[in-house]
Amino acid sequence: MASTHRMLRLLLLLSFVLSMMAGCAAPAAAPAPGEAAAPGGEVAMTEVGTPRNETLIVQTFDGKTNAPDNMNPLMSGYSIWRGFRELAWGYLWEMDTATGQSYPELAAELPTVLNDEYTQFEIKLKPGTYWSDGVELTADDVIYTLDTYFNNKDKLTYWGVSAITNYVKSYEKVDDYTVRIETVKPAYDFVTTLGVYTWGSAFNIVPKHVFEKVEDLAAFKNEYPVTLGAYTLKSYDPNGQWHLWERREDWDRSATAPLGEPAAKYVFYKNFGDEQTRTLAFIKNEYDVDTFMSPDSIAAAQAQNPNVHTFAASLPYHDMGDACSYGIIMNNLKAPLDKPEVRWALALSLDLPNVGTNSMSGQFKGSALPMPDTQITRPAFFEPLQEWLNELTLADGYKPYNPNFGADMVTKLTEMGMDPAQLPTGDAVTDNYGLGWWKADPVEAEKLMNSVGMFKGADGFYTMPDGSPWTLELVIPSDWNKVMQRVGFSIADSWTKAGFKVNARQVDNGEFGTVQSTNSLLQTMVNWTTSCVFNTNFVNNWRSWTAENLKPVDSSEQVIGNLNRIDNQVIFDKIAEASAMDMSQPEFLAAGQDVIKETIQNMYYINMMNIPTTIPTNETYWTNFPKQENPYAVPYTWWSSFKKILTNIEPAAQ
Amino acid sequence: MKLLQYIIQRFVMYFLVLFIGITITFFLPRLMPSDPINNYISQVQARAGQSLSTEATQQLRDQLAELYGLKGDLFTQYTSYLARVARFDFGPSFTYYPEPVIDILMDALPWTAGLLITTTLLAWLIGNSIGLIAGYFNKRRWAGALEVVGIILYPIPYYILALVVILIFAYWLALFPLSPTFLPGPMSWSKTVSILYNSFLPALTLVLAGFGWNVLAMKALAVATKEDAYVQFARLKGTTDRTRMTNYVFRNAMLPQITALVLSLGFIFNGAIQTEVIFSYPGIGMTMRAAAGNGDYNLLYGSIILTIISVATAALVLDLIYPLFDPRIRLGG
Repeated sequence: MASTHRMLRLLLLLSFVLSMMAGCAAPAAAPAPGEAAAPGGEVAMTEVGTPRNETLIVQTFDGKTNAPDNMNPLMSGYSIWRGFRELAWGYLWEMDTATGQSYPELAAELPTVLNDEYTQFEIKLKPGTYWSDGVELTADDVIYTLDTYFNNKDKLTYWGVSAITNYVKSYEKVDDYTVRIETVKPAYDFVTTLGVYTWGSAFNIVPKHVFEKVEDLAAFKNEYPVTLGAYTLKSYDPNGQWHLWERREDWDRSATAPLGEPAAKYVFYKNFGDEQTRTLAFIKNEYDVDTFMSPDSIAAAQAQNPNVHTFAASLPYHDMGDACSYGIIMNNLKAPLDKPEVRWALALSLDLPNVGTNSMSGQFKGSALPMPDTQITRPAFFEPLQEWLNELTLADGYKPYNPNFGADMVTKLTEMGMDPAQLPTGDAVTDNYGLGWWKADPVEAEKLMNSVGMFKGADGFYTMPDGSPWTLELVIPSDWNKVMQRVGFSIADSWTKAGFKVNARQVDNGEFGTVQSTNSLLQTMVNWTTSCVFNTNFVNNWRSWTAENLKPVDSSEQVIGNLNRIDNQVIFDKIAEASAMDMSQPEFLAAGQDVIKETIQNMYYINMMNIPTTIPTNETYWTNFPKQENPYAVPYTWWSSFKKILTNIEPAAQ
Repeated sequence: MKLLQYIIQRFVMYFLVLFIGITITFFLPRLMPSDPINNYISQVQARAGQSLSTEATQQLRDQLAELYGLKGDLFTQYTSYLARVARFDFGPSFTYYPEPVIDILMDALPWTAGLLITTTLLAWLIGNSIGLIAGYFNKRRWAGALEVVGIILYPIPYYILALVVILIFAYWLALFPLSPTFLPGPMSWSKTVSILYNSFLPALTLVLAGFGWNVLAMKALAVATKEDAYVQFARLKGTTDRTRMTNYVFRNAMLPQITALVLSLGFIFNGAIQTEVIFSYPGIGMTMRAAAGNGDYNLLYGSIILTIISVATAALVLDLIYPLFDPRIRLGG
């Protein structure tokens, strides 16, 4: 008995030691992360030893990386999502994400076009831009990078190497600040191909004086890179959970100097774990900007911390300015999806208000065109096409467009008990919920299905024209994209209620890419890939809509680009024409509108909603992030536009 | 002689298992519905309209197939793979090209091994100790209370347990960080303390989650064993409770527990995915998970082969040390 007591005492002692170990081991010198200041006025410090009030802390976009030491932008596996583009690099031309317009960054001005064919360009570099080691950026760096791209294209895996070596025909140095480049084809998108389109660039200029000394460029890690941007890498976690950047002393000689001095001396990218842990850390002010937190978690954080804010104060709360939108890719070659009546029936059976409220709590923005409806695309494509959409009729005379979609959403949410103060009013209704979407009309859908010989069977589901059962496969992401997963299940529910027997199949991200590219595997899938149009340059994403990119319906050969399997000569011709047009001319926009009309009339792709970029900010330490009332840039920390955010944020009054 | 024959048989079986496992590992990822090249191309296409031209895409596809070693017939790839595996060269990761797989695994393994070996042993020790006491004194009320600890903890899903631990120790009491921050640099006393501090919560949850089963299993074994004739005989001889509990009951009841322990140690190279996700803890679990998701064959090969080797080696070690614990094997009985 005594021995038993000894064992019990031993166990208790062990538990006590374990508990005490924690207390003893906790670093005592620095105040806990998130505390504004320790007693006695001591400045709070971060876990990495920087003053919290000088450190902007953001959740990493890619969670954890297995190659945190790789900062070589010529290789596919480099640490791309944690500050490299945003803090460390500069590009010939950057993009103002508030307007969709390019502006010179490393270049002194937009390029001079040297011939009528639009194939020869002269680039003038801005004198006085310095790498972080004090060497000036010159034309030699540009020429060296082009040489490197061409001479090593078989071993450099960064996708931009393929893009540029298929785009550029020749190049030459004119003087220390001037380069001439000739392209293979007319290049009206020269600025956004050699510079930034949306979030990054194909052309990463590397420092000649560093890279020319490297024997094997593919194996080169570039661990602590010499940078062009306003920051340098101070430290990183070899396990890939965090990177810490420090503002350059000579930031005023960096690529982003014209934007002004970045407010934060340090920028700390860290993976705060899964969403539950992240939410708790956000509530405790441990970091300032999140990436894609679910609406439920944001609401929970806001309930606990008044400094947590969404992009907008009223529904749908979040920024909708992403370059892409969620929609449904269909294999237009595979029966019965090869019939426009069936595709239209699917669109009219998709009850978007229900899908959006069930899966997104009403926090979404509808878009009927095959692209997102943003402040940039709306005046170029959406507004000019409203009249056409209102008059659009199907073969049986039916008008499918509902221009009152936004108002209907507000009514629906009001009926669901939503606080009216949270709902948009006036012009904000269409600003926030979009200009319109398709009617939810299963009755018309049934007429269309019947018109092609597809009737509902005894089980209430549509059959094939020969009466055999039909199951429609809808591929959706598994939990690697929880928002799309939820949207996908809601779509399946909506279609099932309308009489389509749906098999919603969740796949991993690797399989997702394979399904979208393989005719024999694809029927329908929730996807965002083909709708990415950020500014008026619609050709940038749709240039692969060509006949040569169509494969036989049961082919296992990979499809390139034409993921909607569009087989439409009008579209092919329009895109080919537009590729050789000056993008600033009205004819270019008209061509884009024609492509959109043709896509909609045939319902090749059911676009649904802008990607709701649910990025909450915690304004305990920093304020003046982009918000709906002050949208000076898209609010993402993983686009190069983050440069602009860094120079606009302000320390919060403590 | 019989012992020697026994050992030789075990070694033959060991290498056979390794060969079959390594062969299956080569073919299995190729049956997966994803491939690394498509994955990269689709990522590029998906990124905000920065689509490549048709020619550039084809060039990239061909180049990656060449660099990744995915050109050529399957047999050539297989023989080349066997030769590389023999040298522990798993090639480059496709997702993090050209990072060698072995480097990625060797970076992650110490974290996984450090956490899981410690917590597996602790859970085993604590669980079996409590289970032994609860089983040996199973008629006492306090012994029932000890068993309740195991009964309560065992069925709690790990995810819930981890969240509760985080809420209590990191959110409310703020004794530990919500997510760890491991500092770079050479090992030092302060770094060791920092690692222990940052690893405490994941370790605590793993011990709590692991020891419940040990309590219940050992308790059941102890209750049955203490009624055996040789234990009763020892009692009649006047031995103390402690002697009977440790020398008679525990020694005989621990055999299946040792099997479970060694196999658990073999499986630690699978990592603890949930722990790594919830606590942002570095380790091999998430690496394997991401490799499977991305179709990163080489990384998948590397991590699975390490698991095969470790489990097979654990089984071999178990077979070799069993004679020490069980004379019946040693003596051919």
